[in-house]
Amino acid sequence: MAKILIVEDDKKLREELKIFLGKHGYEVIALEKFDNTIEDILASKSNLVLLDINLPYMDGEYICKEIRKVSNVPIIIVTSRDNELDELLSINNGADQYITKPYNIQILLAKIERLLQRSNASQVNQDKIDCGEFVLNVSKSLIEKDNSSIELTKNELKILHFLVLNKGKIVSRNEIMDYLWDSESFVDDNTLTVNIKRLRTKLEEVGLKDLIETKRGLGYILK
Amino acid sequence: MRFKDYLKDKMIYISLLLFAVITIEILLIPYDIQIFIKIYVAVAIIVGFLIGFLVEYYSKKNYYETIKSRIKELQEEYLIMEVLPKADFTEANILEEIIRDIGKSMLENVNKYKYLQEDYKDFIELWIHEIKIPIATSKMIVENNKNEITASIDEELDKIDNYTEQALFYARSNTVEKDYIVRKIQLKEIVNASILKNKAQLIQNKISIDIKDLEEIVYTDSKWCIFIINQIIQNSIKYSKRENRQIEIFSEEKKENIILHLKDNGIGIKENELTRVFEKGFTGENGRITGKKSTGIGLYLCKKLCDKLCIGLELNSKKDEGTEVKLIFPNNSFINMK
Repeated sequence: MAKILIVEDDKKLREELKIFLGKHGYEVIALEKFDNTIEDILASKSNLVLLDINLPYMDGEYICKEIRKVSNVPIIIVTSRDNELDELLSINNGADQYITKPYNIQILLAKIERLLQRSNASQVNQDKIDCGEFVLNVSKSLIEKDNSSIELTKNELKILHFLVLNKGKIVSRNEIMDYLWDSESFVDDNTLTVNIKRLRTKLEEVGLKDLIETKRGLGYILK
Repeated sequence: MRFKDYLKDKMIYISLLLFAVITIEILLIPYDIQIFIKIYVAVAIIVGFLIGFLVEYYSKKNYYETIKSRIKELQEEYLIMEVLPKADFTEANILEEIIRDIGKSMLENVNKYKYLQEDYKDFIELWIHEIKIPIATSKMIVENNKNEITASIDEELDKIDNYTEQALFYARSNTVEKDYIVRKIQLKEIVNASILKNKAQLIQNKISIDIKDLEEIVYTDSKWCIFIINQIIQNSIKYSKRENRQIEIFSEEKKENIILHLKDNGIGIKENELTRVFEKGFTGENGRITGKKSTGIGLYLCKKLCDKLCIGLELNSKKDEGTEVKLIFPNNSFINMK
């Protein structure tokens, strides 16, 4: 499991981030003290660091620079300073990504995944997800069952992927839309309905009937 | 300065001079001198003084006129004290001293306000960075406790975030030069970022987004641009109609510029109000509709920032049909060639 270290001095935000990233399958640790930050970060042996800029004792940018001298661990700078200059400075100091508060949480997640993939430490985002009755091939955009397979469009893949991630739970239409929008497919209500319908037909074609169940007024559930 | 006016100022001298000449002539009456000499004395005195007046008139006229023309040439008129002409009469030195003193005191005064404004701007920036942390935390809490109620709170949080953003950019709007970096950006990048910022509100209000093209590259500061587009989308959300809400976003490349269109099918703006939408504090008829809460700041700020970023901003609208905003980016072939 990929280990993420949170360096954030706001206690509440730290805790919520821990819960959130924990839910998404990461091992999360957070620094509670900031008097020896650089050593602590290096000692944590984490796969990725979420680093705040405004920290007590030491500036995040300085920390970033010092860490880069000895380690290649991916660093995402998380800050409330919102201008291009700070972003440029951070990247120059060796940060891999820069994200401003309040961040779009899905984007944060996507950036984490991408960075971890690059450093080969991620086990969260697999190319093939075994869903019991079928296998979802994310990299090739295919549903695979036994020897047959069927191709999915970009949106269909995303919807199914989201349902698979939340298997056994009801997901509302708004949540699905939220997820699609975060990956820059700005679908509306009607398009979503059409996509779900097509997805069901495709699932039926490989012999998976009624896999996606509609819960009236609540949303959908993947069984 | 006209010679007539100058002579008017010299009225006392002239009367005294005439009085002196007349007195001399009266005193000369009892003496048996040739009439020619008597007249010559009077004329000589008058002509002598007249020449004196003329010399003085031209030197003063020259001096003041030089000052006037230099002021006209100067962009910053108060800088005149740095380029005062040399004069050969004492009054000019006094004037020079006065101008210098006034200028100095004005500069001190201006600096005082400059400092106060800087100070206030710094405070606002700091405050906004502080307020963003609780906003971020709240959004995180919402994310960890997803349900209908938190979704609604999330929408409100986005509004708070937008208002704070507005305050931040308002504070920065007078010193755009200070924090702005021109970068090569694809239109898609800034449009998508702006849409994502308003995701919760757009989804909740069932507004569909129709995006076409946006492959064009522009050279600008992305943070400022995202803010501007964000304001326009905010307006489209605020002034949308009841049904079939839609925002169309597309781009168009012309020889000299790249135009980004943002078109909604909202309630539109009355024709006689169109010219005033960029005025600060102007809310118009739409602003008075209950529940809309117009501030009259959004478009004003957009216009101001666009002017500073050299982006054209046009707004067309028809009542009950919708509003179209055009952002016109210069197509800088000079930069493209490099």
